[in-house]
Amino acid sequence: MTAAETKGLTLERGMFKLTDVNAIIPNGKITAIVGPNGSGKSTLLSLITGLSSPDEGSITILGKPAEHYSRADFARTVSMLPQSKEFMPNVTVRELIEYGRSPHRSMFSQRLSKEDQDVIEWAMRLMRIRRHDDRMFHTLSGGEQQKARIAMALAQRTGLLLLDEPTTYLDIAHQLEVLEALVSLNRQQQTTVVMVLHDLQQAAAYCDHMIAMKDGEIHSAGDPRTVITKGFMREVYELEAKVSFDGHYPIIIPVRKQNEEEQTMIIVTNTSQIVKGSGDKLVERFDRIGKVEQMEGFLGLEVLWTQNLKEYDEVAVVTRWTSKDAFQAWTKSEAFRESHKHRNIPDYILDNKITFQEVKIKRNPITEAALGETAAQ
Amino acid sequence: MNIKQRTKRRKLVLLIAPILVIASLLLGLMAGSVPVALVDIWHALTARGDSPQDTIVFDLRLPRVLIGLLTGACLAASGAILQGVMRNPLADPGVIGVSSGAGLAAVITMVLLPQLSYLLPAAAFLGALVSSVIIYSLSWDKGASPGKIVLAGIALNALIGAIMNGVMVMYSDRIQAVLPWLSGGLNGRSWHHLSFMLPYALVGLVLSFLAIKPVNLLMLGDDSAKLLGQKVELQRMLLILLASLLAGTAVSVAGLIGFVGLIVPHAIRLMIGDDYRFLMPASILGGAALVALADTAARTVLDPVELPVGILLAVLGAPFFLYLLRKRSNWR
Repeated sequence: MTAAETKGLTLERGMFKLTDVNAIIPNGKITAIVGPNGSGKSTLLSLITGLSSPDEGSITILGKPAEHYSRADFARTVSMLPQSKEFMPNVTVRELIEYGRSPHRSMFSQRLSKEDQDVIEWAMRLMRIRRHDDRMFHTLSGGEQQKARIAMALAQRTGLLLLDEPTTYLDIAHQLEVLEALVSLNRQQQTTVVMVLHDLQQAAAYCDHMIAMKDGEIHSAGDPRTVITKGFMREVYELEAKVSFDGHYPIIIPVRKQNEEEQTMIIVTNTSQIVKGSGDKLVERFDRIGKVEQMEGFLGLEVLWTQNLKEYDEVAVVTRWTSKDAFQAWTKSEAFRESHKHRNIPDYILDNKITFQEVKIKRNPITEAALGETAAQ
Repeated sequence: MNIKQRTKRRKLVLLIAPILVIASLLLGLMAGSVPVALVDIWHALTARGDSPQDTIVFDLRLPRVLIGLLTGACLAASGAILQGVMRNPLADPGVIGVSSGAGLAAVITMVLLPQLSYLLPAAAFLGALVSSVIIYSLSWDKGASPGKIVLAGIALNALIGAIMNGVMVMYSDRIQAVLPWLSGGLNGRSWHHLSFMLPYALVGLVLSFLAIKPVNLLMLGDDSAKLLGQKVELQRMLLILLASLLAGTAVSVAGLIGFVGLIVPHAIRLMIGDDYRFLMPASILGGAALVALADTAARTVLDPVELPVGILLAVLGAPFFLYLLRKRSNWR
């Protein structure tokens, strides 16, 4: 049985979009949901927990359709650490964690039962905030506040715990502390843990299962070691990176892009229609125009001579420049003027026109990409 | 504020508040143009005779003080609930249209049926409930978020205020009786007013204690409350209805008394924190004592002229509120 399963989940809310998401959360395992910002990770969590409802699709929790749970029943089955830093009331850490017991308590009970007390103690110890129990929540550091919020979700004592970015706001030591605590929770109590994580290394090291999302769809899912590949990095994060594994820890080394910013190029095409067979003359004439290859911003030159079936031939002289200014600097140069001086347009040129094109250069490291594909397979 | 301070303040507030309520009750019975001694009050209440003093205590002052206590308790409870539900420290019964709805209903009653002025409390009560239901419905769009409720409230309050002013200008000859009510006061309130408001007030105040847990959880935010198993939309609707019932009960008899619903819970929150297990009872007791004391002051300070207690509360309340805002507030 799966802890949670979604079928054909579809949702559109302005910017947020999910399309036909079929996610499986294996029971008793730790699952990481990864993906770029805005890929729908949090939306998926909020759908699973019923904080929002899908346009289409269904959600099953422990084999039972989610809508068959009452709100209180659900809160005894599934708990979640929401991402939003909503307003927090001015209460002590212990009082905040006590709120986590409310699904198990009646509306009228004022006193906590022995079980409530024990669970609260346990949650505080697991999150290592026992020593702060009497402090006001607001006086804690960001990391300690986060741990207190997690403890509140733990106090619900559910079999399925979802956490939206539990390690955000924590320094590296606290991050690992929280992750270790969640692992021991999973190992000791067989609690199913689902986390949205941004750190792929941590996700791979601490999780048994990984769901990768991209643009509101599930890109891939499975063992983190099979999911995180070079191709995955490129497709999901649009990042060129070398990927290798050291034990469970993936080592992801981004390949620095050669030209970070987009480049443009000016292509100047000088097309002449000439009397049939006189191409040689024109090319020779062009060869005498001086020193173009020495100009700053000059990228290259091609001469295309088309002998077609029309009554004239065509010669296109194509020069490529980094900018229009560079081309114009050439037309104003001494060498250019010198070569054009005292020269009339010869009669074999029937027509002549110049076009400018501004194009974007996309450098595609073809070899890198090809290597990536083979490595991924 | 640390936990030791808070524990101390909680004890202090919950100790002083009941004492203040009793003190305000006794003071309200004793003070006035005919001062009555404590022993005579006891006599008037237990072995009532026909002496003028007994009549003053039993027929004039006692119902009025009790109405003052209930009015303050209801307004403060209403404000406390709304501040929690809206997660907004500036929420008060006016936000959900209680004052404007009650005001319009009262004015229209006086204009259309000037001879039936005894209907005024009932009309004001209905007006308060109806306008909060309208505001709540206007803000509904797959759920009513606090922000939308506040906006809908502002819009409807402006509209109702305009209509009310229009009616008052056109029928200025017929609204004399409603003017003191509009500024809020307990002058001339007696046993039948008390018996009108008592059932609603008691039901409302008892329900306020049931609201403690839901309000505490709603303060965590909609998402967190839902995740803790709360039916957030249903609870918010019922709590707003409850707040409307409480405030409607108060203004129907006492007129448009402002500020109590805003400053009492707010001030107590600054002293003892956000936990409604303490905030709710302390607000109810504090509100009760405040209105009863203010009313006693209103009828004695400028004796024989009597100030409407609503005006006195606003005059005292506004500077106090500014002082509170200047002091560090923990609401972000």
